[in-house]
Amino acid sequence: MRLFWELTKRAFQRQLTYRAAMLAGLITNIFFGILRAAVLVALYGARREVVGMSVQDAVTYTALSQATIAYLSIFGWYDLMNSVNSGEVASDLLKPLNYLHFWLAQDLGRALVAFCLRGVTVMLFYALFFDLTVPQGVGQWAALTVALILSWFLSFGWRFLVNLAAFWTPNARGIGRLAFGLAWVLSGFFLPLRFFPGWFIMLCNFTPFPSMVNTIIEIYLGLLTGSALWQALAVQLLWAIALLVASQVVLRAGVRHLVVQGG
Amino acid sequence: MQQLGYTLDIYRRLINVQVRSQLQYRASFLLDVMATMLTLSMFFVSLALVFQRFGTLAGWTLGQVAFLWGMVEIAFGVMDMIFSGFDPAAFGQRVRRGTFDQLLLRPLNITVQVLGDEFLLRRLGRIAQGVVIFALALSLADIQWTLGKLVYLPCVLIGLVCFFGALFIAGATLTFWTIESIEAINILTYGGTEMMAYPMHIYPDWLRRFFTYLVPASFLNYYPALYFLDKPDPFGFSPVLRFVAPLVGIGLLAAALAFWRFGITHYQSTGS
Repeated sequence: MRLFWELTKRAFQRQLTYRAAMLAGLITNIFFGILRAAVLVALYGARREVVGMSVQDAVTYTALSQATIAYLSIFGWYDLMNSVNSGEVASDLLKPLNYLHFWLAQDLGRALVAFCLRGVTVMLFYALFFDLTVPQGVGQWAALTVALILSWFLSFGWRFLVNLAAFWTPNARGIGRLAFGLAWVLSGFFLPLRFFPGWFIMLCNFTPFPSMVNTIIEIYLGLLTGSALWQALAVQLLWAIALLVASQVVLRAGVRHLVVQGG
Repeated sequence: MQQLGYTLDIYRRLINVQVRSQLQYRASFLLDVMATMLTLSMFFVSLALVFQRFGTLAGWTLGQVAFLWGMVEIAFGVMDMIFSGFDPAAFGQRVRRGTFDQLLLRPLNITVQVLGDEFLLRRLGRIAQGVVIFALALSLADIQWTLGKLVYLPCVLIGLVCFFGALFIAGATLTFWTIESIEAINILTYGGTEMMAYPMHIYPDWLRRFFTYLVPASFLNYYPALYFLDKPDPFGFSPVLRFVAPLVGIGLLAAALAFWRFGITHYQSTGS
């Protein structure tokens, strides 16, 4: 257990050294957020509210979706498959910590830094220039915290699983790009899922992706309350468990199959 | 003249090598192209689906937005295929590692070398996706075609390709001095692409002015689109400005190449 937290701390410190890159990333997030906000406002036109979201909610949505980018490594995470390609995986598998826990610990460190330096910061910047919706009441904040934690587990599970493709094929990067690209669109990251036609939302709900981003946003904006809220959190939990279990299973098969590359 | 012919011949050979080696792994190549097409087109499909709920975007129909979007995607894809050697992220790495120096030692035009170094055929995925979106635009938006418009269309495309190419080249040149500039350039290229896919009048004044007067992106896609789609200019500029796209694009490319020459001449290696 101590080893786990040691790894997390190391990863946390390592990520902190990328401060300059994070600042640059932050500026990019803000720029894209402004573009997306403009598009949504233009779509709204004269409307004050669409499917329960006000214009202010829509602008807050763009801030939130940008804020999750770094935290959940939405644009892809290839560290594991890179370690397979470099051959490092051989020594990683020999370490006295379950391989999945090994990566989980490191991702936690990374995610914590990302959350502070490119998550909260995006929201704070936005709050300076825009009127943002803010969660009301302890209950909503508590639910948001739970959703954020579950989201991270889910996201890790998905990214880990996708990266395991490297145990089988050298084309893992292409598979990764496709898999992560799929997650962008179906998670409510690009446009709020609420705005899509019902059949599309239904299709998305067969995947873990809405639980990654859309759920967090809808809880934050107070669009999910009561039983709907509990249901959303339960769905997140179930998907997180499913993905992590699948990861362990696939990992076991992958290790058996592994072809180690690199000199 | 003979020098030019020789240089072009070298470029053609370099490209040839790139294309053949990339097509070697045909399955991998096709997978890559398909994956790119799929992921990129999903963004437009998302917008199209959401459009059903809203009807218009600041007075523009889906077909009209698709016109902007398609043009930008095609142009950026073409640029990325040709100018990939100048991609600031990759180029910056080469400068850092010192591997750029060996190109300078060769008795070949350095610009051609960098261009010929990376010709990414798989960008066809982005281009193809752009073509599909543009085709959709043509079928949805009721464009009144004239001979003038037909002649001007490829000019606008060339202007856009030159514009993006200029950004890449300028960005690559900046990496001679600083690696931090890469993110700023990424905002202009990827952010610019995203921005130009929508009508400029939706953006806050300060942003629009920046991309009209400082980086003249407005004249490359939006203003020509006003001409093609027979739309009035909400800012009341002279209608002449709808036709400056190719000039602006080529002008910026020329400026970027001049900057590149300057950078090469004053380049001091990181040392080995």
